[in-house]
Amino acid sequence: MKRIAVLLALAWCFPAHAEPLSVSKAVDMRQALDDLALAAANHELVLVKMQPIDTALAKRGFENPHMRILFIGSESAVRWAEAVEPRLLNLLPLRLTLIQRDGRMTVMSDDFALWLHEFPSDPAHRMIEAWQAELKAMLDDFVRQ
Amino acid sequence: MIHHIRSLFLLLALLCGGVATAAEPAPKSIPKPIPEPMILTATAQGRDMEAALAALNQAIVNHNYTFVRQQAIDNRLVPYAQEVRSVRLVYFCNFAKMDRALRLDLRAAQMLPCRVTLIETPTGVDLIAVNPAWVSQNMPGLHEECQELKNDYLAILEEASL
Repeated sequence: MKRIAVLLALAWCFPAHAEPLSVSKAVDMRQALDDLALAAANHELVLVKMQPIDTALAKRGFENPHMRILFIGSESAVRWAEAVEPRLLNLLPLRLTLIQRDGRMTVMSDDFALWLHEFPSDPAHRMIEAWQAELKAMLDDFVRQ
Repeated sequence: MIHHIRSLFLLLALLCGGVATAAEPAPKSIPKPIPEPMILTATAQGRDMEAALAALNQAIVNHNYTFVRQQAIDNRLVPYAQEVRSVRLVYFCNFAKMDRALRLDLRAAQMLPCRVTLIETPTGVDLIAVNPAWVSQNMPGLHEECQELKNDYLAILEEASL
């Protein structure tokens, strides 16, 4: 409950953006994953799964897209969605796309604007904003490391 | 002579009128794009989670997709013994389609891998997927691919719920 209150306070501080969150810094994939794990832990988030679509595609003879997908979650988000708005379970765990280009790693979230538009009323709207704000704080932390 | 000139003016006026009419766009209603629903759903009535999972996995394979993994919605967030049994996620993909979509637009990653959420209810299991054509509404280059993907989802959901 306390965590949800903190999230909602965060949502007030960070107004919603109309596009996916995106940050970048000059690190390789391994370092990016380590830094993201640390940033997630700093914000009480958990790396649920890393989807290595780069190696999965290359292994099957396709061009390596030099990108991976990370799923990040928190138990409080799941419990909230289960109890209040189960349709938001489809947004969880939150997804980050890691794209490696020219020595830089870009980390991008899904487009929250679509979800905010689909859920114009509180409490769902406010909770999506809170998740977005939490992810933004985590990504800012990732950039600072 | 005057009669001929009048006839010529009349003919010109008629011609100009005809041309002007032809140049105007025909008054037809332009169909508005039908808004895509956010969610695609089906219900496997009378089935439990295990049976629904088996049917979904078979439908995935039947539609030329590869099963990636399944997990509880709170997997890794709580100890295994405490995981919720009534909400499961099934991930799958078709690598050729994934490759094609990523070449068109890297934001296709927002739909990867494909996922169906299964929610057990007292009467059966609801199978739910986020509509890729809804996600791609601001990605014109991907929209056609996503319409195809949506059709694949619908076919998989339908078969899994039969």
